[in-house]
Amino acid sequence: MISCRNLTKRFGDFTAVNGISLSVERGAICACLGPNGAGKSTTVKMLTGLLAPTSGDVTVCGHKVTVDAIDVKKNIGVLPEDLGLFEDLSIEEHLRLTADIYGLPAATANDRIEDLISALRLGPARRTFAGRCSHGTRKKTSLAMALLPNPQALFLDEPFEAIDPVTSKAMRDILVAAARRGVTVFLTSHILPVAQEIATQFLIIREGKIVWQALAADLTAPLEETYFDIAEPPTHGDLTWLAHS
Amino acid sequence: MAGAFVSRLEPVLRALWKALRREQESLLKFPANNLYYAAIAFLVMLDPAVMMFVAIVAGVVLFFPLSTDPLRRIPASRFQLWPLEPRERRLLRMLSPWLNPMTWIVAGFALWRGVSLGLGALVAALFLVGFLSPKLGLSGRGRSWALPLPFPGPLAELIRKDLRSLVRTLDFYCALIVGGAAAAYRIAGLLPADAYLPGTLLAMLCISTCAQTLFGLDGRAGLTRYRLLPIPGWQILLAKDVAFILVSVAFTLALSPLAGFAAALAALAAARYPAIRERRAQLRWRLQSGTSFGGALTQILAMVGAASAVHLYSPLLLAPCLLAWGISLWWGGRELERAAL
Repeated sequence: MISCRNLTKRFGDFTAVNGISLSVERGAICACLGPNGAGKSTTVKMLTGLLAPTSGDVTVCGHKVTVDAIDVKKNIGVLPEDLGLFEDLSIEEHLRLTADIYGLPAATANDRIEDLISALRLGPARRTFAGRCSHGTRKKTSLAMALLPNPQALFLDEPFEAIDPVTSKAMRDILVAAARRGVTVFLTSHILPVAQEIATQFLIIREGKIVWQALAADLTAPLEETYFDIAEPPTHGDLTWLAHS
Repeated sequence: MAGAFVSRLEPVLRALWKALRREQESLLKFPANNLYYAAIAFLVMLDPAVMMFVAIVAGVVLFFPLSTDPLRRIPASRFQLWPLEPRERRLLRMLSPWLNPMTWIVAGFALWRGVSLGLGALVAALFLVGFLSPKLGLSGRGRSWALPLPFPGPLAELIRKDLRSLVRTLDFYCALIVGGAAAAYRIAGLLPADAYLPGTLLAMLCISTCAQTLFGLDGRAGLTRYRLLPIPGWQILLAKDVAFILVSVAFTLALSPLAGFAAALAALAAARYPAIRERRAQLRWRLQSGTSFGGALTQILAMVGAASAVHLYSPLLLAPCLLAWGISLWWGGRELERAAL
């Protein structure tokens, strides 16, 4: 469902992503982990067509991203790094926009919009401009826009960060149930316990390269241990000047 | 204490000047609104017969340098967190517009040609309103207002959004003053037919910079969303163009709406390149900052030519305007899609 081969992205002399190859099967939840600046978001952008790769191929839902961009977009839902919201539209208007653009029949659109507003607890803010909402509400709106058209594949860039615990649980339940029904999920996250709970496949990116990947069934140690060993060892620092006695 | 006062402001002003200077390669590219250039032209010509009519609109720009405010380069949250006293913030607010060379040029022309006390008081009042506008809560309550739109199809919400964005620019209100004044004069039977074309051109001049900054208020997140929408680039542009054309025709209804329509098409076509390739973030409740003097001149000449041709010769001359606009729409849509991949 999602595959890429030798995916590379260079910005001038800097190589953000260096020859990544991966494959995610239908119905899988793949968690892409790694330190800040490792290239996770750049990889997601190339998989979704937001960024053109310097080299390499990407195929999503049977379409090449660089050739059939609109066909790819019709079949995927994306929660981008910057959330992709318009300041001048309310929460509900964002969902109506998504429904209209994806050609959902009115009755279907209304039902799904109400389901999403309820599940993600967006009710109080539904008529508030996105520019005036909290970061968490904006993120939930962006997620709702990704889910609304019933995409074959979901690309979620840090979906659980800045989300309240109740909504986070609801989101996890939604993603796990959707994956069981054939929706493919590719997400990035820094919250390792949540990633371990829901993902069926893991990969760790460091300095633009995949340094480790495994299926959840093959994990022999807690994910956090593996992460600290491979991705970035924890630092023990102290700022001794930070004191007031 | 005075030393500390200056020492806190000086690095901020220096950083702003550096940011401004780096953004532009030459004086001609310094951000400015089409009304700036028109204001200078009006001052140079200074025709007493028309001066009073255009003074109100020109005055908004003449002494409204906040509209291209260099302070916008500082993220608002960062600016609020700096330990600056209120008087230091006020002084920064008053000094920062003078970092923009256009402000010096406009002020210099005003002094050279002389400005009456009454006009000076009027534009000073307008300046003060602009200075205080954040405190006056002009940005709205944050809840969306319904804008009934008869547009069918998937673009209705996009058009609604783009109309709302236009309403949140000062360019809109400049054009509203001209269009509203024209409507009032016409209803009163005082508007001579000779004024239809110049009035139309003035109204279009007021709103035309928005055609150069079609994506200016969308922000980076908005651009991301456009790239994710499964529609061709030309449809995204079409929504923006429809919003611009609607506003343009509405403001020229009491003057020469066909000429206004032609001018809008020409404005969009001529500004397509900077709108797509030279995108610059804009601020709400400010006059929009155009891209370059050359681009502005091209756009103004295109608008004047199109509007004059349709008004003075034949409405059939709308056809080449539509053709030019259609070609620019096709090209712009392709460029938008290419920008993503």
